[in-house]
Amino acid sequence: MDLLDLIDLIQALTDGVLFGTTYALIGIGFTLIFGVMHKINLSYAAASIGAAYLSLVLVNLVPAPIVYLGAALAGGVLGWLIYLICFRFIPLENPLATLMSTVGMLLAIEELISHLTLGMPQNYPALFANSNLEFGSFFLRGDLLFIFFLGCAAMFALTMLLKRTKLGLATRAVAQQATAAQLCGMSVSATNGATFVIAGLLGGIAGSMAGAAIGVLSPLMAMPLTVKGLVVTVIGGLGSIPGAIIAGLMVGGAENLFQFLRGVSERDIYVMLLLFVFLTLKPGGLFAAPGGRD
Amino acid sequence: MSIAAKRALFAIAFVASLGVSNSTHAQEKTVKIYGFGAKSGVVGIFGQQSEAAMQAAAAIINKSGGVTLGDGSKARLVIDYLDDRCTAEEGINALRRIASQNDAFVAIGPTCSNVAEPVFGILQKKTGDASDSGIQFPLYTDVAAKGGLASISQWAFRNVPSEANMYKAIFEWIKATKPELKTFWGGVEKDFAHSNATFGVIKAQAGSNGLQVLGQSEWLLNDTNFSTQVREMRRANADVVAISAHPFTTCGVLKEMARQNVRPKLLVGLTSSSSMETLQGCAAQAEGLIIPTSFAPVTDQAKQAAVAVQAINPKYNMDLHNAAAFENVFTLKELIEKNKIMARPDSIQADRVKMRDALAAMKETQGLLGKVGRTDDREAIKPYLFVQAKSGNWVVAHTPKQ
Repeated sequence: MDLLDLIDLIQALTDGVLFGTTYALIGIGFTLIFGVMHKINLSYAAASIGAAYLSLVLVNLVPAPIVYLGAALAGGVLGWLIYLICFRFIPLENPLATLMSTVGMLLAIEELISHLTLGMPQNYPALFANSNLEFGSFFLRGDLLFIFFLGCAAMFALTMLLKRTKLGLATRAVAQQATAAQLCGMSVSATNGATFVIAGLLGGIAGSMAGAAIGVLSPLMAMPLTVKGLVVTVIGGLGSIPGAIIAGLMVGGAENLFQFLRGVSERDIYVMLLLFVFLTLKPGGLFAAPGGRD
Repeated sequence: MSIAAKRALFAIAFVASLGVSNSTHAQEKTVKIYGFGAKSGVVGIFGQQSEAAMQAAAAIINKSGGVTLGDGSKARLVIDYLDDRCTAEEGINALRRIASQNDAFVAIGPTCSNVAEPVFGILQKKTGDASDSGIQFPLYTDVAAKGGLASISQWAFRNVPSEANMYKAIFEWIKATKPELKTFWGGVEKDFAHSNATFGVIKAQAGSNGLQVLGQSEWLLNDTNFSTQVREMRRANADVVAISAHPFTTCGVLKEMARQNVRPKLLVGLTSSSSMETLQGCAAQAEGLIIPTSFAPVTDQAKQAAVAVQAINPKYNMDLHNAAAFENVFTLKELIEKNKIMARPDSIQADRVKMRDALAAMKETQGLLGKVGRTDDREAIKPYLFVQAKSGNWVVAHTPKQ
């Protein structure tokens, strides 16, 4: 491996880690909902892409940052709708019920997008797309840096919300012990609904950032983001937000690294092997969430 | 009037009304051409546009009086299009359903090469082979373009362009008109049958025409990050870059190339990307992209056909994929009339054989860009030209001598 190869390797890793911010945001959404409801929302990534699609109505009307804000808001609304349709009135004691309802929602969102757009790729605005910080052969992409910092800001805002607000307190209380939280006067269903809205806001940002990073939106994006989100959630630890953040960046970096070293035909094998290594050696993930008291 | 007279009058009127309704029924006689392809899912636009093109052709035919059947009667042409979602299982299911209908004697489709291959695989390989229990049903494919598929079965026929010929021509043209271009880098969507197979042709032709093949970048249909692959492209700094991929990843790669300032002297694309989807997703980045295609609205017939499809539904347009479906309907109409297809339930098996034999006997058909030749292995020799993306439109770059 010569110097240029080494620079390319570092470049691949850096780009992957920066793009991994989108995986981290998706992973946080999965883990947030799991943490509160102990259920997986398989439609989360599809809803994130759906939110990005909804923000397309703003594309020719407002600057890109407002489009991203629109995607976040649309994600919040979609999150609440998904809670209502797939969780609120579904028997939660049935382990498969919400799994099936969210799989159905995932497929429904994908189909809706395909039908409404005829499957055609849609141009999506990116900020700083042509602004790179160049250091010889190595460069930091301006748009990926923006995505990284926006993702960090979103994660920071989420942390502040969870740690410093009453809603955050309620969310953590319900996650820890729903019955006790209810006895303390907290509405479990309202808290769950609010969690879905918060997760949806994050998802909308993730979907718009994924679209911005690629430059186009396509219904093809929903499934790979779902799979990556689940991988990130498991590696990070179910219910752990810091774990999802680190795992997201790790998966993004690993994906690009294996692409560089082994090519596309083996790349996904190694990413899945990484998942299996964690499942075998550290099944709780990087930061297993502490168990609740009964 | 006596009761008997009234009864007689009633009976006469009743019988007379039967005669009227029978003649009305005869005027509404229909002959059905089935179709199947991807009408839903991410490539649903292909099947939807094929169906629209078939409906447009049927509307023109019906306006001119319909189809003449073997008994001399006229029948209205009806199109029935099934959805296979671009998956092999559903494609096979669709074919089995069509073959079980007592009004089905030919079908146009499927859309996707990854469906066509297994679907052709369940047809009888050789006609008259009693030991082969494969389905005996003629298929006339409009879109699935992976090379050599019709040779799988003698019941499979295709009206798709020869990508081998088209890419041979385009690289010969590049060699003749742009001798300063010396090096080549390829990009390929590895997990899609059509793009992967065509890339082999592209790479071979690039090499055969004097370009030094420096390497290739690979990605998958669902990929969302192309930075590593384009980095390889950037480092190679080839004069010619060919992207054998469908619109979503083509646009993803082109946008990444713009970000990384990768600007080859010439861009060549996959036939399937010479459509509105590419320009919808990345018109600015696709500027200058050259693609060989078997359709462009350059003849009167092609322009009229494009208008006819838009009349079916303004959201659809005509491109190289559904142009073939449009041509196929007219070809089949001609064959139905020449071979006296009866299209009755009791004649349906014989009709299928007649239709297959008629398709096999074709030496030439009429296409929207001119005459379409036929090969012995049931493929088409279609006229083609090169289009180039310019200011958000596909314009004709060159019409090669054929």
